[in-house]
Amino acid sequence: MNLETAKDTPITLTKPLSKTELKFRGIWKYRWQFAMILPGFVLVFLFNYMPMAGIQVAFKDYNIFEGIWTSKWIGFENFYFLKDSEFWRVFSNTIWITVLKFAFGFPAPIILALLLNEIKNKTFKKWVQTLTYMPHFVSWIVVAYIVEALLSQSSGLVNELLTSMGMKRIYFMGSEEWFRPIIIISSVWKEVGFSAIIYLAAIAGLNPQLYEAAIVDGANKWKQTLHVTIPGIMPTIAIMLILTIPNLLNAGFDQIYPLQNPVNLPVSEVIDTYVVKTGLNQGYYGPATAIGLITSIVQFMLVVGANQLSKKYGDTRLF
Amino acid sequence: MKISRGEKTFGVFNTLLLAILALSTLYPFIYMTALSLNEGLDSLKGGIYFCARAFTWINIKTVVTNPLVQDAFFISIGRTVVGTIGTVFITGICAYALSFRKLPYRKLIMIYFLIPMLFSGGLIPYYIQLRNLGLIDSFFVYIFPGLLNIWNLIVMRSFFENIPDSLIEAAEIDGANPLTIFWRIVIPISMPMIAAISLFTAVAHWNSWFDGAYFVNDMSLKPLQTYLQNILMNADAAQNLRQGSASVSASSNAAVAAASRTITPMALKMAVVILGTLPVLIIYPLLQRYFVKGVLIGGVKE
Repeated sequence: MNLETAKDTPITLTKPLSKTELKFRGIWKYRWQFAMILPGFVLVFLFNYMPMAGIQVAFKDYNIFEGIWTSKWIGFENFYFLKDSEFWRVFSNTIWITVLKFAFGFPAPIILALLLNEIKNKTFKKWVQTLTYMPHFVSWIVVAYIVEALLSQSSGLVNELLTSMGMKRIYFMGSEEWFRPIIIISSVWKEVGFSAIIYLAAIAGLNPQLYEAAIVDGANKWKQTLHVTIPGIMPTIAIMLILTIPNLLNAGFDQIYPLQNPVNLPVSEVIDTYVVKTGLNQGYYGPATAIGLITSIVQFMLVVGANQLSKKYGDTRLF
Repeated sequence: MKISRGEKTFGVFNTLLLAILALSTLYPFIYMTALSLNEGLDSLKGGIYFCARAFTWINIKTVVTNPLVQDAFFISIGRTVVGTIGTVFITGICAYALSFRKLPYRKLIMIYFLIPMLFSGGLIPYYIQLRNLGLIDSFFVYIFPGLLNIWNLIVMRSFFENIPDSLIEAAEIDGANPLTIFWRIVIPISMPMIAAISLFTAVAHWNSWFDGAYFVNDMSLKPLQTYLQNILMNADAAQNLRQGSASVSASSNAAVAAASRTITPMALKMAVVILGTLPVLIIYPLLQRYFVKGVLIGGVKE
């Protein structure tokens, strides 16, 4: 591997070095680098690989006192949830939320970036940008508080506006039909400005000559956007699209859990929250691990699929 | 160039739309600040939109003097400082070592680090592992599991790979070992990237609440966001926060006692939220120019 370096080192050789000796010298040369990798190596082993070994809990009658390795094997008994209608409702809630979030959350930053791009006043543009990506830096808990404060039935701003316009108060948090809109709107509100940064950078990187040529051809602003800007940022859009695919089962525990209450539970329970509740709250480790395993497998297939797609269409690979 | 009437209308409309959008992101923060600075009972009458009507510091004061909130605040500060320094250091040295193109077994080691991005054991095996390591109910559960951030490892490695080899070789010839080179040459020229990664790591630490909620039971070890989550979802916790204010009123003078009777759980909640948000909102405009670069490094890969 490091033949050259070994040759260059002025050592008096009595006999030619064997292959293993050369290899060892190569490794020895990089001993500092290996030492620098070691802590990370150990950490990944402890916090990523060991839990992978713990997946066997899905096929075991896990007992805290016996530990993972000595608990009894029980085959697929923990997968009984697959026949449970409750689980399939949770699954459909998850799909609903992720699909809606994608349908509204994906185009929103592109539109914002296109609109921002049309603003000529630099200061105004900067202010809009700074303010719109601010929510990205607050926690979902704070967002839940904001939702609560704005939508509260008794003193919330939205209900005050509704009554002042002569409409009835709505108990937003205590209704099934308002839960999804609240999740979608709050997630767009939180992330739209931040995600727009990437598209704005892509627009800024476009060749100005393309616009000049379009203007010569008599294209107006709308035509320029349609025929120059959008095709120009298409590769970026494709990459972002591919990057979202692996998260298609990830409805967002951090966002959803704080907004849950007994009334909206029929629509708000998603796989993530379900696993936390059955596993960590109620202590059904086996079934919760089994659900997690199925999610991990689906997630894995989505990542691999996305990677295939990006190899085929995007000229870029994720890994 | 002539500007058509349609484009002019669009320009006005667009400016207006974006102004509304910007205000709608800013407004909830103004609303919460107003509520936290208004007398609680007065707020219940409604009509608080931009400014406090019956201005008072009592909500903020009650929250800041509450021992549980104080504990939570210092836990949050502690985990953010220790966690950020630790993570950026461990991830940084690992990424730097992996940026050497001739490192033996480099590909194999990279695969080792990439596999966890594709597949994970899931929450329950992770929890069992934390328990086996004795991290449950310990401050270090906030620190150790995140010390190596695989995503940042990739970002940092590709940044380090772009540092000219000649710079490193020159230092090598001068007899510097890789650690010295890392410390004296690589870090100084990587500062913008390191600042961006540090900011993201720090914000993630500050905003994290899940580990505090499920991996720690001791109330005095909970970070601020977990405490916030606790009072959001648990009526008793909100009541406790209010009871804390009762003891404040007992110990202070009559005027304060009278004022504290107007405190409502809602006003106190808003005050804690302000406390939990303010540090991030103060820091982020200062570091903006760094993180915009950071997003681009992380988001658009060549």
